[in-house]
Amino acid sequence: MDRIQISATDRSPQVDFDFAAGHLSLRGESYPEDAAAFFGPLLQALRAYLAIASETPIVFEVRLAYFNSSSAKALMNLFMPLEDAAEEGRRVTVEWRFLDGDETIEEAGEDFAADFSHARFELVREAA
Amino acid sequence: MTDEAITEALPASGASASKRGGSLRGAGPRRSSDFMSAAEFLDVTSNDPGTMRPGALRGSAQGRDLDSLAHTLFLRIYPVIAVVVLVTQIGIAWVNYRDQLHLYTERADLMAAITASSIARPEWSASPQVYHRQMEALTLDPAFRSATLRDANGTVLMTLGETRRARSFELISAQADLVAAPGTAPLGRLTLSISAEDLRSNAEKQGILAVVTSLILMLAFVLTLHANVRRHVLAPLKRLLLAMREVEHKRWVAVELDGAFRASNEIDVISQAFNRMVDGLRSGDEAKQLLQQLEQAHRKLADANHLVMESIGYARRIQSSVLPDRKALDGTGLEVAVLWEPLHLVGGDYFWLEEIDGLGILLVADCTGHGVPGAFLTLIVATALDRLIHERGLRDPAAILVALDGMVRTQLRQDGRGSESDDGLDCGLCIWDPEAAEIRFAGAGTALTTIDGAAVTRIRGAKRGIGYPRRTGEHIAIEESRLRVTPGMTLYLMTDGITDQMGGAGPTRRLLGHRGVMDILASHQQAPLSEQVAILDTSLAAYRAGEGRRDDMTLVAFRPKAMPRAM
Repeated sequence: MDRIQISATDRSPQVDFDFAAGHLSLRGESYPEDAAAFFGPLLQALRAYLAIASETPIVFEVRLAYFNSSSAKALMNLFMPLEDAAEEGRRVTVEWRFLDGDETIEEAGEDFAADFSHARFELVREAA
Repeated sequence: MTDEAITEALPASGASASKRGGSLRGAGPRRSSDFMSAAEFLDVTSNDPGTMRPGALRGSAQGRDLDSLAHTLFLRIYPVIAVVVLVTQIGIAWVNYRDQLHLYTERADLMAAITASSIARPEWSASPQVYHRQMEALTLDPAFRSATLRDANGTVLMTLGETRRARSFELISAQADLVAAPGTAPLGRLTLSISAEDLRSNAEKQGILAVVTSLILMLAFVLTLHANVRRHVLAPLKRLLLAMREVEHKRWVAVELDGAFRASNEIDVISQAFNRMVDGLRSGDEAKQLLQQLEQAHRKLADANHLVMESIGYARRIQSSVLPDRKALDGTGLEVAVLWEPLHLVGGDYFWLEEIDGLGILLVADCTGHGVPGAFLTLIVATALDRLIHERGLRDPAAILVALDGMVRTQLRQDGRGSESDDGLDCGLCIWDPEAAEIRFAGAGTALTTIDGAAVTRIRGAKRGIGYPRRTGEHIAIEESRLRVTPGMTLYLMTDGITDQMGGAGPTRRLLGHRGVMDILASHQQAPLSEQVAILDTSLAAYRAGEGRRDDMTLVAFRPKAMPRAM
């Protein structure tokens, strides 16, 4: 699987999906005009990656300072196949990173965490 | 460029020169008009030198037409060379002639003297026949014409050769006295004439040679000059002119520097300078054109933007007219203040205030998207809500949200009928019962926050929004919360556009968040609600500090009015 690297813009996050290392990351802010267009290819790539059997643990690092509701849905769509893979035995960790004091992102992480039962969902507080 | 034209022109000009027998005027090329038409320069005024009018040459010398450059050079230089050659040749011939004449005269004198001295005997005149042999010896000279022997008295004793008088300039005459011994009287006289005809014909030949030489020189000069001027001056200049013509029409051609014949250094330098100038002009012109295109595109964009903004401005009027009167709940004993500010004039935020059956209904909804698409969804929500309250008579907040969930999903065909959309709304609904001083709240993605003194309480309701497509087996669970409203308590329904304010710089850059918003509101509890809302709006802008807003924002703040003392 080719690594996906997309630079951050004002409205979209920096993407680095290093499939070979099993390390995926999203950083920045996410409120693209068309969230489906931005996240669609990422979701496809992730599904294709998970379809290939592998023992490599997956770490998905999310460090977003802001995301709109359609990005939230897109994140949910990315998390679902990961949770499914974890249910089938793959080691999956989602690192939800937020700045200390940023309760909006922290609460959003808590909401997402409730949907995971097989994958590890870690809330990582970062010092401001 | 027209290298063929040049090679064609060359024999033509050569032919014209030879045909015209090397006359000064005819020798020059006369067809500048051909070149001018070939170069599409017919609009350039040119004197046709084919019929040389007075002053035409001067015009050419001033460079009014190019072909006359060779012509001018020829006319200026050739006469000088021709005169010099002619004068030199004739001078040489003259000097030669004089030398030969001098030699001939000396020869005649010598021959006469030798013969005279051989004859000079006393009494020679008695038998002049004795000396006939000596006299005959003179005829051995091929130039000999005549010889006459006279005695002391001048009587002719013997004559040889033709004595008839020839023209004097063709003859060289010599005389010698017959002297027997030095100091004695002459005994007679010998007169000798030799012909100078050869000398004259030689001199004539040389003169003709001089003229012919200068004519040949002229021809060679004309041909060489024209060939060279054409190849190294006119042809490059022509290329330059054609290029200038192209440039005049904004076709950015450069002059070829390595044509069939190299241009003279000066023209080469000019051509290079011209090419650099063309480069400069081209880039300048391209920049200008790009700028024009850019300006045009900008105008179009501005027009399009104006049109869109006008259209959206109209849409805003419609959306605003769908929203309720802010004083709709005045009769229910509630003080209400609203902040409704879409991100793009219209938006997906919606609120509803209505008094019905003695109850107050307060609803805040945040539909997916903002701008026009969001506004479409608010109209669907508004219509559905109207039907639920007025046609179906629902007064239970959780029941209303569950019903709204179904209606929106159906309306958007997100109920498994093949729609690709994934839209819905976050919604918070309060039913205010003034009699019981009680609020019944149901929320889906939208919380109800209360401030009561120092206590800030958030009732979050259901986590997910409503109206979205549902996964099989998924059930919406919306629960109702009831709370007693006491005087001094203020309640807030807000969309996440209120709390999602990005501000701060560097490592502290983050969203203001719910707590930040409540801190602002809590610190202005004593102010009237409308003032509180205005302060919040200003504070949010201050927090953003130039950062753009991210979303539509709506806040509905309400609290029981202070009880009239009369009651």
